[in-house]
Amino acid sequence: MAAFTSYVSSAGQPSYSFPQQQSAPSHASRAPIQHSFYPYTDNGGSTLGISGDNFTIIAGDTRSTSGYNINTRYEPKLFRIGGEGSEHKGSKIVLSVVGFAADGHALKERLDTVVKMYRYQHGKEMSVNACAQRLSHILYNKRFFPYYVQAILGGVDEEGRGALYSYDPVGSYEREFCRAAGAGASLIMPFLDNQVNLKNQYEPAAPQGLEKPQLVPQPLQRAATEELVRDAFTSAVERHIEVGDGLQMMIITKDGIEEVFSPLKMD
Amino acid sequence: MRGASILKANDDKTRSLNKHTLMAFVGEAGDTVQFADYAQANIQLYSMRNNSELSPYEVSSFIRSELAKSLRSKNPYTVNLLLGGYDAIKQKPELFWIDYLASSAPVPYAAHGYAQYYCLSILDKHHHPDISFEQGMKLLRMCTDELKRRLPIDFKGVLVKVVNKDGVTLQEYPEGEQMYAP
Amino acid sequence: MNTLVARYSQPAAHTHAYNADEDSQQLIQDAAPQLSLNFALPPIASTAQWLRAMTDDHSNPNVPIKIAHGTTTLAFRFKGGIIVATDSRATAGNWIASQTVKKVIEINSALLGTMAGGAADCQYWLAYLGMQCRLHELRHKRRISVAAASKILANLVYSYKGMGLSMGTMCAGVTPTEGPALYYIDSDGTRLAGNLFCVGSGQTFAYGVLDAEYKYDMEEDEALELGRRSILAATHRDAYSGGFVNLYHVKEEGWVKHGFNDVNPQFWRYKLEKGEFSNVNAKLDETSGKV
Repeated sequence: MAAFTSYVSSAGQPSYSFPQQQSAPSHASRAPIQHSFYPYTDNGGSTLGISGDNFTIIAGDTRSTSGYNINTRYEPKLFRIGGEGSEHKGSKIVLSVVGFAADGHALKERLDTVVKMYRYQHGKEMSVNACAQRLSHILYNKRFFPYYVQAILGGVDEEGRGALYSYDPVGSYEREFCRAAGAGASLIMPFLDNQVNLKNQYEPAAPQGLEKPQLVPQPLQRAATEELVRDAFTSAVERHIEVGDGLQMMIITKDGIEEVFSPLKMD
Repeated sequence: MRGASILKANDDKTRSLNKHTLMAFVGEAGDTVQFADYAQANIQLYSMRNNSELSPYEVSSFIRSELAKSLRSKNPYTVNLLLGGYDAIKQKPELFWIDYLASSAPVPYAAHGYAQYYCLSILDKHHHPDISFEQGMKLLRMCTDELKRRLPIDFKGVLVKVVNKDGVTLQEYPEGEQMYAP
Repeated sequence: MNTLVARYSQPAAHTHAYNADEDSQQLIQDAAPQLSLNFALPPIASTAQWLRAMTDDHSNPNVPIKIAHGTTTLAFRFKGGIIVATDSRATAGNWIASQTVKKVIEINSALLGTMAGGAADCQYWLAYLGMQCRLHELRHKRRISVAAASKILANLVYSYKGMGLSMGTMCAGVTPTEGPALYYIDSDGTRLAGNLFCVGSGQTFAYGVLDAEYKYDMEEDEALELGRRSILAATHRDAYSGGFVNLYHVKEEGWVKHGFNDVNPQFWRYKLEKGEFSNVNAKLDETSGKV
């Protein structure tokens, strides 16, 4: 919908290494004039990932929006990467993408191809950390024409621990314990900071003041983590119009991927 | 500022509002001196009528309210101020950071403009509420040295005035040596 | 070996015209994992201007794609080597995207790079630099000098000048030929050798603390403390900086990491134990002025 609508390039203060003078379209030079190229739209929704001792959970709602319209109530944002055939049998890596759904699909297709080609050529599965770095490079390859996406990648690492990587649109990435992305990120992320990393929680019995010890995050249990994810989404649904309809969860362990779907409020 | 030239190198950008309060100002040409003179005259008028001196806090309230009125007028003053004074009754020095939007805050140290970016971190580290006058002057020297070293525009030095229980005095402040980034 | 080297050291050839076959070519290239220098470009005339309209949240806060930014980083030379310190905050507009970013990039066991500006730009190109440094070692059977490494990066970013890269980085290393060496490189193409640099939105605050007490003849613990305190000063005054203080010491034998410590407890320690930050009132009624 928003594609090919016009954008106004702001005349604000210039910065960074962009050319300082706006090259005004001069008719004298007979150069072709390019009018508004806007190949993006925001399809809303939210994703979230939490990694534990021996598992990683990636979750996303299934609503797809375009402005104030709901396109569909079931458009998955979670994709299995690698594995065998189009069913991704035996896959142990999940990619989630929010932002522009078409870019998300293109990105998923690219990464999936890479991971499958890797197995054909090397005769072994790609590790998550290798896959994570490769995803970063795929995103950066479009540094000058970015994918409009926020990606989260989850799996289990070579030591069997849960692995979670988060990305910005042009590929800067970091391994983390939890991350929320998309429309509801600003609602969910503070909750995760508090409940997963125990931020701003202190030993209640300890004396007040400088000596107050910060609570140390303990390894998460799978059942408790699933509850955390559900709570995060039900709360986000209450306060954000672009989040709702269904909750898709993928739990990655050394044995593979389990998928759980549960309904969210549809209003 | 008519063109990009220095018109005067040793311009005094301060006004004594009464015996124990001094105001430093920067901002739009014309506005600054006009507002400072206006504030000075009215503070003095008040003291004459009521036969009492206003404390620095009271002066800051007056100035803040004048700036707040001005801000909502057709032609507001664009002046940023630092108001330093000595409260003779409480026997304590006081400093107020005031900007053209009529924010006023009591602070232990302050700066306006680019100096904020270079000096506040130095003051955060080296200022203590109970420092002596000599230590205070050393701290000021650290700040001006840093401005000489890092300010992208040529720094033409400072005029230093001191307010204490005896009133306002001009402080000798040798220019010191040229500073270079290490 | 030579075929391997040849494969990884092709010249940077980037096509500026849009190619319909590009995507299908890309999929074939995807098969061979490598740092590709063929970047996709939008199918329009003024690509840089378009990219700016899409991503430069400095001139327009409502851009659709927000790239992580903002920082304070510093590095300085002293008699015992080089201190490198950074904060750990990444921001996208007003949103704090992360408080745990590793802005010191370990290029190899003796070379460090710092990250300011676009997070992805720094991460990608410093990884690329790491690759080039390793290739230099394989070709010449000795470690690359910091001067040469920084020049590789400077030439690289200069070749993309005007395309919209945003990075301010420092390369720090100690080599037998150069001793402790420190270079500043930014996306304009500037490359400077020096004793002391602060880079990022909080640079002025870090410079303030650092300049006041910097001496080349500092002891190691003094230097580490000054680096830590300068970052703390910047996190206190610059809203785009914060999180953790990441501290490194580069020596001839290689670099040593000196922790990744939360800013908040450090701030309160300096305030309560040393009486610094006297502008912060711990109690609400401690404001002066009231009659």
